[in-house]
Amino acid sequence: MPSLELEHTFTGHKDKCWSISLHNKLPLLATASSDKTCRIYNLKTKQQIATLDDNAHTKTMRTVAFKPTGDFPSLAIGSFDSTVSIWGNDLNYEDLSETTQGEWELMALIEGHENEIKSVDWSHDGSYLATCSRDKSIWIWEADEANEEFECVSVIQEHEQDVKFVKWHPYKNILASCSYDDTCRIFKQDEYDSDDWECVANLTGANGTIWSCDFEKKEDGVVRLVNCSDDSIVRVWKSSGGSNNSGSGSGDGLPSTLKDEELWTLESELPYVHKGAVYSVEWNKEGLIASCGSDGKIVIYQEKSNGRGWEILLVNDLSHEVYELNCLKWVNNTELLSAGDDGTVKLWKIKY
Amino acid sequence: TIMSISSGFEDITLRSQQPSQTGSNDDSNCEEQEPIDAQEIYDLISTISDPEHPLTLGQLAVVNLNDIEVSNNPNHSQLSEIIIYITPTITHCSLATLIGLGIKVRLERCLPKRFRVTILLKEGSHQSENQVNKQLNDKERVSAACENDQLLKVIGHMFATCQ
Repeated sequence: MPSLELEHTFTGHKDKCWSISLHNKLPLLATASSDKTCRIYNLKTKQQIATLDDNAHTKTMRTVAFKPTGDFPSLAIGSFDSTVSIWGNDLNYEDLSETTQGEWELMALIEGHENEIKSVDWSHDGSYLATCSRDKSIWIWEADEANEEFECVSVIQEHEQDVKFVKWHPYKNILASCSYDDTCRIFKQDEYDSDDWECVANLTGANGTIWSCDFEKKEDGVVRLVNCSDDSIVRVWKSSGGSNNSGSGSGDGLPSTLKDEELWTLESELPYVHKGAVYSVEWNKEGLIASCGSDGKIVIYQEKSNGRGWEILLVNDLSHEVYELNCLKWVNNTELLSAGDDGTVKLWKIKY
Repeated sequence: TIMSISSGFEDITLRSQQPSQTGSNDDSNCEEQEPIDAQEIYDLISTISDPEHPLTLGQLAVVNLNDIEVSNNPNHSQLSEIIIYITPTITHCSLATLIGLGIKVRLERCLPKRFRVTILLKEGSHQSENQVNKQLNDKERVSAACENDQLLKVIGHMFATCQ
């Protein structure tokens, strides 16, 4: 059976590490922590190259996300202090080598949410930044090229409780959100009004907070989403495509605002391995799914060759000793990173 | 004023342990001599003061020895579990979440990190049982609540009677 081999431990944080993000072109890793700093590491040299604090946030940095586009690297950090900060490096890609690091500067501070920011994410082409909060809302911001002006184009208030996580589709303007209300919702940009985001599906059935989700990394075909819950279960959902505009049958628990509903169904519950809340889940490009949570396990699942369900590829116990795991990210198809309550970030490689 | 903060716990989310109160020192202090059992957990939390009465949670029978379950793995590199059922003095006690939070914070500060602590209201003891339970066991909300200075102050007062 394959196993995970620890390749490196990134240290520096003095408190829980909640969130990590990888740059899509440069070997940069950003980490956000309760110690109110965000650290940037070079993934190749393993050196820490910057610490973003600058007193920008007065409380825990809960979430971090690199912008996928732009002439120079930039990122967004969401904090329990209810604000989002945007940071940029003044060097363009060619200059940002391992020896020259450039300066990371605070470029904008976005206010609007009433309380703790739980998650931020950029859309695939960098046009939009989605943010969500305990105030039950999701805000969609339009960013300019220079990252200096952020205009709120939509405030989505579909969830009944805290919105824990937001995630954009890797190729489309589709947004998924996860909530303390035990549901996961899918939003699509309106065809005629680009500032209007409609809830097209409400994925119910989990018996606890949904902590995180991720879309399958496929450009075309059936859209699938994996999510993970406080009820310790990881679920795969699929869209059966096409809008269902029958107009009848409103008794299926869908909100009345749902004009262009899509039929989403639970495709599989992944094999039960976790004991306790599952905090993070991610799909890699090869189709493997990895999850982690309060039990310290990293679990990797693969789809059965006959397409009927999923099986366990490997389980890595006590990945950060006795500490809980808050976030994981695939670096490529065989390497992944995990962030824990011990403040460290670990780089793992699958050994076949 | 306590009442307003408590209703605010709905709006709270807590910060993790103070770095000075975590770490290997605590682990060794708490553990080496004897294994952690229900009695030891009871001793840690029964001395917490009720936020509105001049009595402790033990004296008010909000916490009871029989309502503490400890499954302590003798191998300290593995995880162990503690479940505590609390009984609010009245079924509409608006301070139930604050009391639960106090217990959670006290144990986070005192126990080694290998313990996963679940705090639940005793079945039928409160009208908003599920809501309070969910809040108390949401790691993110607890972390954010611990960054609320006003709330930490109240919890500090509740701990004044602890050794």
